[in-house]
Amino acid sequence: MNETPLIHVVDDDEPLRTSLLRLLKAAGYEARGYGSSGEFLLEPPADRPGCVLLDLRMPGPSGLELQAALRRRGVALPVIFLTGHGDVASSVRAMQAGAVDFLTKPVKRETLFAALRRALERDAQDRSTREEANRLRDRFAALTPREREVVDAIAGGKLNKQVGHDLGMAERTVKLHRARAMEKLGVGSAAELGRLAERLRLLSEP
Amino acid sequence: MPSPAGRAVVPTARCRRAAAAILAGVVVAGFAVALGALAGAAAETSKVLILYSNGRLLPANVEGDRGLHEVVHAPAGRELRLFYEFLDAPSFEGPSFEAVVTAYLGEKYRARPPHVVVAVNEPALDFLLRHRDALFPRVPVVHAGVDRTSLRAREPLPADVVGVPVDYSFAPTIGLALRWHPGARRLVFVTGASALDREFEARLRVEAAAVAVRTPVEFLVGLPMPEVVERLTAAGGDTVVFTPGMYRDGAAREFTPAQSVAIMAAASAAPVYSPYSTHVGTGVVGGYAPSFEAMGRQAGQIVNELLVGADPASLRLLEVMPATLNVDWRQARRWGINDRSIPRDAVVRFKPPTLFEAHRNEVIVGAAVIVLQAGLIGWLLVEHRRRRFAEAAEQARRAELAHASRLAVAGELTASIAHEINQPLGAILSNADAADLILESAGNRRDELREILADIRRDDLRASEVIRRLRLLLARHEVERRAFDLNEAVREIGSVLGAEARRRRTQLEIRPAPGPLAVVGDRIEVQQVVMNLVLNAMDAVTGLPEDRRAVAVSVETVAGGVDVAVRDHGHGIAHEHQPKLFDAFFTTKRGGMGLGLSIARTLAEAHGGRVWAESGSGAGATFHLELPLAGTTGGRSGGRQ
Repeated sequence: MNETPLIHVVDDDEPLRTSLLRLLKAAGYEARGYGSSGEFLLEPPADRPGCVLLDLRMPGPSGLELQAALRRRGVALPVIFLTGHGDVASSVRAMQAGAVDFLTKPVKRETLFAALRRALERDAQDRSTREEANRLRDRFAALTPREREVVDAIAGGKLNKQVGHDLGMAERTVKLHRARAMEKLGVGSAAELGRLAERLRLLSEP
Repeated sequence: MPSPAGRAVVPTARCRRAAAAILAGVVVAGFAVALGALAGAAAETSKVLILYSNGRLLPANVEGDRGLHEVVHAPAGRELRLFYEFLDAPSFEGPSFEAVVTAYLGEKYRARPPHVVVAVNEPALDFLLRHRDALFPRVPVVHAGVDRTSLRAREPLPADVVGVPVDYSFAPTIGLALRWHPGARRLVFVTGASALDREFEARLRVEAAAVAVRTPVEFLVGLPMPEVVERLTAAGGDTVVFTPGMYRDGAAREFTPAQSVAIMAAASAAPVYSPYSTHVGTGVVGGYAPSFEAMGRQAGQIVNELLVGADPASLRLLEVMPATLNVDWRQARRWGINDRSIPRDAVVRFKPPTLFEAHRNEVIVGAAVIVLQAGLIGWLLVEHRRRRFAEAAEQARRAELAHASRLAVAGELTASIAHEINQPLGAILSNADAADLILESAGNRRDELREILADIRRDDLRASEVIRRLRLLLARHEVERRAFDLNEAVREIGSVLGAEARRRRTQLEIRPAPGPLAVVGDRIEVQQVVMNLVLNAMDAVTGLPEDRRAVAVSVETVAGGVDVAVRDHGHGIAHEHQPKLFDAFFTTKRGGMGLGLSIARTLAEAHGGRVWAESGSGAGATFHLELPLAGTTGGRSGGRQ
């Protein structure tokens, strides 16, 4: 997997797009340009670090519409908006939708690079969070459905007896499942098992 | 059938006739009484004898007599008789002549003695003082024209000898002559040889002593007239002549003073002054003297008082007759005397009447006509100017309003304009930054840099092109009238409003007519009309689903001109709004001023065209701008510069 960040530049204005790509490349970034929202969606980005530099106003789907579409498709790339003329309403909507920044053209190099750095940092963070969650999910995935039920119940703070009652099994059976799950997940105590389950829950939240 | 009113007329007329007869009788009787009274009074006459020293035709006598005659009248109920006697001095003089005259007058007036005797001038007064008691005992005497100084020599006069003395002083006239001729170096006095002339001379010598200090004085006394003429002809330019005239010259030739003065003035090479008003016109410049007519009037007034029985001693009389300045305007002219140096109270004679004096009425009417005409012309000019100012002001106001409206449109387009300009500016900045970084990096990347510079140049031009188009909206320009291609102008609107249409996600379609269409007028104002219509249409489709957000502008030739149609697929125009559509301040938009369409109409009409709207129910609206094609201008023409 390529770990060099790739910056996606989506702008209908060809000269502006070219100049941005040129600047980014001169600054050592790897960048790729798209002439419209549609063009970007047709080429789903490979899973590699990066961010999207998005023109707010374009013919066809606008920047905001593309941002929404990416979220729906689970593309987690951070978005920086660029606009020729920012109005309050669209900047508020963009930020609410999770944009890293909202820049007005012509944009200063330092401003642009600072925004890019923030976006890439956030991407890296998101990425490590997602990886940790994936690892945990993989470990949890080894559990049988019954073991998973028991772990969830214990992570919810219930006693073995209660869990057995709730799940309709003997307390002994509960302890058995628990011991097997702890072994699979590699934890030494019930408290540690609870923390791990809570972590996964947090990471899995959207 | 006679009317009642007709019958009533007859007795009334009869009454009137009777009354008139009675009145006539009364009047006739009145006349008879009056005539009887007059006839009765005819017996009582007031007799006045006027005794002149000189001959009858002496101008002074004639003038004095005119004044006396004017004033003197008999007391009420009496008749006035005037008798004249002339002593004919200096032609007849001496004791024997006096004796004859005394006998003659005594005989003549014995039966009809005068009630008052008027003595004109010194000889007559002296004669009466000597012979009154014999001729006219206790008859009061009024003297006239007697010089103040010579009168003083005859004092005391009897109490019933009264009159106003005259100041014949020559000094004022001599002073005047010296004032009017400041360059005079010689003053020549001319007098005659008779006793009266000697009296003139005596007075003159006394008065001349006062002026001789300043100016040398020369006397020509008792010379024969030819010699006087000779001397005066030879007089130099620095000479001023003064003469009271003469009765007799050294060769015993007799004159009236006026005659003698006329001869002297005709010959003299120097200006001649003489005091008497009767000498004005003979060629003298003029002088100060009391008017003989005034003397006559004065004597007449005294006579009137004496005739009604006033006591001569109790009369309140003037101390002296005032003198007036008499001037011959022609002579004053001849000797270069400025009109302004002639005193205002002077009697100026022989001055040609001015145009106004000669034709007073004509001049007044003429002047009035000229003044009226000038007034009318002035008024028309003022009106004309006012109208031109008003027209210019009206045009300026419209241009002002149109400009303000374009600025408002520019404000509305701010977002799309900013986007359009910031796009190339953004590209330029990023390119420059990229070039910066490339220069910092190692390696030869000249080709890349050259490419960047070319792009910067292109983007710069792109931005300036946007700004150039904006001048259409922002610039305050002189309204002009010239032919331009309407197709081209409409196409340009497409490029100005294209960004705005994109921003609003509205489709803007421009469909020009095939081939150029020449229209005459102000290109920017015509574009403004179309732009207003297009923006209106865009507003109308805002909020509609995207497939209906479309505005089409088409240019087509129609009968007598060209039609620009702006079509939208909005909701159309509500029926009740149609009549007010083009009124100022009418709007259905929130935040709209309601000026766009009203200005569009004003501008269209200024170009001899019109704007109107069509609306199908629910099928959107179409706004039309119709303009005459160049060469077929049917509307207003030439009104705009």
